[in-house]
Amino acid sequence: MRWHIALGTVAVVVIVVVLAYVAITETARMESFTNAYDSRRIEVGAALYENNCRTCHGPQGEGIPGVAPSINAPDLFNGERLMAVGFSGTLYDYIEGVVAYGRPVPSAGTSYPQRMPTWGQEFGGPLRQDQVDAIVSFILNWEDQALAAAGEGTVTLGEGEAVGVDVGVSLPEGDPRAGASLSQSAQAGCSACHELAAVGPAWAAEASQPGIGERAGQRVAQSDYSGEAETAGQYLLESIVNPYAYVVEGFDASLMPRDYGERLTAQEAADLIAYMLSLR
Amino acid sequence: MTDAVAEAPAESAAPERLPLTRREFLNYLWAMSMAVFMAGGGGLTVWFLYPRFREGEFGGVFTVPLGELPPADAPPKEFPEGRFWISNIGAGVEQDPRQPEDYPLQQGLRAIYKVCTHLGCLYKWIEANDRFECPCHGSKFLQTGTRIDGPARRNLDVFPIEVIDAGGNVLARTEPSLNSQEGTAVPLPDGAIAIRVDTGRRVTGASNSAPGGGF
Amino acid sequence: MSIFNLHLPILDEIKEHGLKTTVRDRSVDVVTRLTSGLSPSDIRSILRDDPPGRPNPRLKPHSEGFWLHMKPTYYHQLMDGVYPTFRLGWLSTFFFVFEIITGVLLMVYYTPSPAFAYENMLTILGNVPFGRLLRDMHRLGAELMVAVVMLHALRTFLTGSYKKPRQFTWATGMILLLVTWLLSFSGYLLPWDQLSLWAVTIGVSMVEAIPPEIVGQTVNLLARGAPEFGANGLLRWYLLHVVAMPLVGIIFFGVHYYKVIHHGHSLPPEDEEVGEDTAKRVPTDTRVYFFPTIATRELFYTVALTAMMVVGSLFIHAPLEPHADPLITPLHSTAPWYFLWLQGMLKLGDKVIWGLIVPGVLISGLLVLPYIEVGPSRRYGDRRIGLTAGAVTTLLFAILSYMGSPWYAVQTSAEQEAVAELVPETHPGPLRLSDWNELQVGTYDASAYEAAPTEALHDLLEEFDHELARIPRDERTDHEGIMVIENWQTGLKKITLRVLWTTVADGNPGEYSQTLYLHEDSNYGQGE
Repeated sequence: MRWHIALGTVAVVVIVVVLAYVAITETARMESFTNAYDSRRIEVGAALYENNCRTCHGPQGEGIPGVAPSINAPDLFNGERLMAVGFSGTLYDYIEGVVAYGRPVPSAGTSYPQRMPTWGQEFGGPLRQDQVDAIVSFILNWEDQALAAAGEGTVTLGEGEAVGVDVGVSLPEGDPRAGASLSQSAQAGCSACHELAAVGPAWAAEASQPGIGERAGQRVAQSDYSGEAETAGQYLLESIVNPYAYVVEGFDASLMPRDYGERLTAQEAADLIAYMLSLR
Repeated sequence: MTDAVAEAPAESAAPERLPLTRREFLNYLWAMSMAVFMAGGGGLTVWFLYPRFREGEFGGVFTVPLGELPPADAPPKEFPEGRFWISNIGAGVEQDPRQPEDYPLQQGLRAIYKVCTHLGCLYKWIEANDRFECPCHGSKFLQTGTRIDGPARRNLDVFPIEVIDAGGNVLARTEPSLNSQEGTAVPLPDGAIAIRVDTGRRVTGASNSAPGGGF
Repeated sequence: MSIFNLHLPILDEIKEHGLKTTVRDRSVDVVTRLTSGLSPSDIRSILRDDPPGRPNPRLKPHSEGFWLHMKPTYYHQLMDGVYPTFRLGWLSTFFFVFEIITGVLLMVYYTPSPAFAYENMLTILGNVPFGRLLRDMHRLGAELMVAVVMLHALRTFLTGSYKKPRQFTWATGMILLLVTWLLSFSGYLLPWDQLSLWAVTIGVSMVEAIPPEIVGQTVNLLARGAPEFGANGLLRWYLLHVVAMPLVGIIFFGVHYYKVIHHGHSLPPEDEEVGEDTAKRVPTDTRVYFFPTIATRELFYTVALTAMMVVGSLFIHAPLEPHADPLITPLHSTAPWYFLWLQGMLKLGDKVIWGLIVPGVLISGLLVLPYIEVGPSRRYGDRRIGLTAGAVTTLLFAILSYMGSPWYAVQTSAEQEAVAELVPETHPGPLRLSDWNELQVGTYDASAYEAAPTEALHDLLEEFDHELARIPRDERTDHEGIMVIENWQTGLKKITLRVLWTTVADGNPGEYSQTLYLHEDSNYGQGE
């Protein structure tokens, strides 16, 4: 019985110590938990966006002219759009309302032929409230990117002389890793179009064909090739800065912008090519 | 307990006891009436607890235009709002060597209820294996709805389909097939513009319990 | 004035004995009343472990008080050690009370509605001080209670304590086991996450098999409140969890414990003559009194167990999966562990036979066991058949439980299983737990894991490669695993896992891919 008393006292001390420890750390823990679950909501929203919104608003929310407006645009986040439609609530409420209820009537000054469908289950759409919330969280996470892009302008990417449109130009040593991250950046914008829904970048290897590095070598050697490139590296440079010198059969000859020769520096072009050549 | 058993015969052996007194009879009657009341109350409680739904809240008639149907032999297509998959059985699927002979099939459309017949999980179409697979206990079903493996013990359930033409006339519909008690596949006659799937009625899949299909 | 005419006897007493004496006498009186008969000096003598006086004043709380009325005044000294009871019955009671206290507190922040339930969980975890601790303790206590109650039944079987005259105690105990299972199981649904919804869907689908069909379907509808789980189903299971089952539990606990005390705790089998039950006849020299020995010990257990629960909850957290989605069943969903045996049986064959008839016969067999097995001896040596049967049953239970787990005979395509090892659907898994910053943007080949730029990527790719290497190559071959990591948004990466292969039969290529989005701060591994 005596050790019962001793151990019992120890147990009480343990309880008090643990509870005190929890009490001290609880505020910080609650904050980190809330933060974690807000972040997970963004993850859920990203997947929902991919499945439901991407086809009209673009993979990165950049919008598709004639189909749906950009939702990754600075005017949404700096309050101009709310002002334009006369919405007095928060941005969160605005986006939530639009997603859940849809847009039976177009906003003033826009003329998109398609209407935003109703998504919220309570209004007859397919998504539950928690899913609508997740999509809103995902869209709001574009805020930094959208506002930063507004400040930068879109003419050049990095500092330095533009690479130009001559495929024979001698390029500096390229860094494939820098090229890889550049290809994914919003400034370069490659991945806005060169994406396959479930697969990732279109230049990566997939089941039906090798990576772009391998393909470039094959293309240059093809009999119907009409461009000026002689090596795989030159072919890739040509495809970026002078895209219509040769168009692979089956692709539209008007989609790739013509201004990458002015926007990319020689170093950036070299990085991109080094990255692509590494994909086989 | 033993005491009670010992006492009871001693009491009933008392010679002067009548078979049944009036008081005793009335008490039995009273007890019986209470028993009947309790049974009735139980029944009413079940009725009270039994959920009722508004018309169409769970199940209704879904109209799917021809253009949204999967082509013959293509993978089945999911219609989440109606909780079914539409499978278009063509010549290729019909000849599938995995199809157990006990469940012969004709070509045509089947609207398959998306819930596994084992324990109510939602199976998925696994393109790589060309079959439905349940994520909970691994039951496997062919595109036709026939079970080929796993703990499920019957084929997938289907909803009856009606094929309609532009005038709304029914050209063909799901019939119970005679040999397997399952809903038949519905072929698409000329002039059809849409199909109607009635998710309010469910045709239960035939029992199918041998490993790898069959009875 | 009339108020001065009020006659207070205490004033007379003060006048007669003085204030100090009166206050002391009155305090003694109050304490004696509150303890149903123990005066402060009696309490002091208990605390000092003095021998009791004659007649023993420490028996009064048992005869006069409500709380101790059912508690025996003394135990046989053979029942004083850990063997033969292992205190399992007491532990079950402790956990029952523990669950009621933590549960009632959690109810304050809970709304049984699909629109709010999951949100409430996030509130409890993220905006209620000690919310997570309480939830973790409630969950941990529930799992332990199930385990303890099952062990209690096993112990009672092993020592033969279910035999005459304690047959009815055993039967009520079996009912309490069912109540415990249902209590724990009904709590599963309440967080309304994916785990809840599908574990309970699987469990409830079992009752759908009750023949004839109309009965099964009716029971199924009554349990779900609709053809599918939704607002009605959640409310029903909530009421079952917080009202119906605790009520049934309390009633049967009362009967069970009354019977235990009525017959006395059965002595260890080797200390009684065969066929005798001497538990009620405790000779004076073998008595261990409730006050002070047993009371102190039980108080000690209470404190020590509470400490264990508090400490345990720091390390073992109740899981919380993503919001319930009635449209998607996660891969490898299972029922709770104590129903795995039932799931294992269900994999053996027909739902009616293995899900209903066999378990039904088993449980009713256990319920009436003491009325069938009437061998007079409780000695281990005389019960070789019974003990062997018990051991075989326990072993079968373990094997069936293993068979019920996803590791046994649940397989989808091998490629999907390989990807699911990295990105499981029922818990975070290695990819989500990796250091976000080490997941560098790029395209990686699983077989080239040696060349991965960071340690986290190396480990992930190596595991990916090993999983792919384990795929049997009879139908498909040349498997290649590719992981693509892209920047997707501020602090958000998109990770695509792809498996490419060639079909052996026709040489055609095939592909399976899964996409995952991972946020910098999502901080998996907080215990979910």
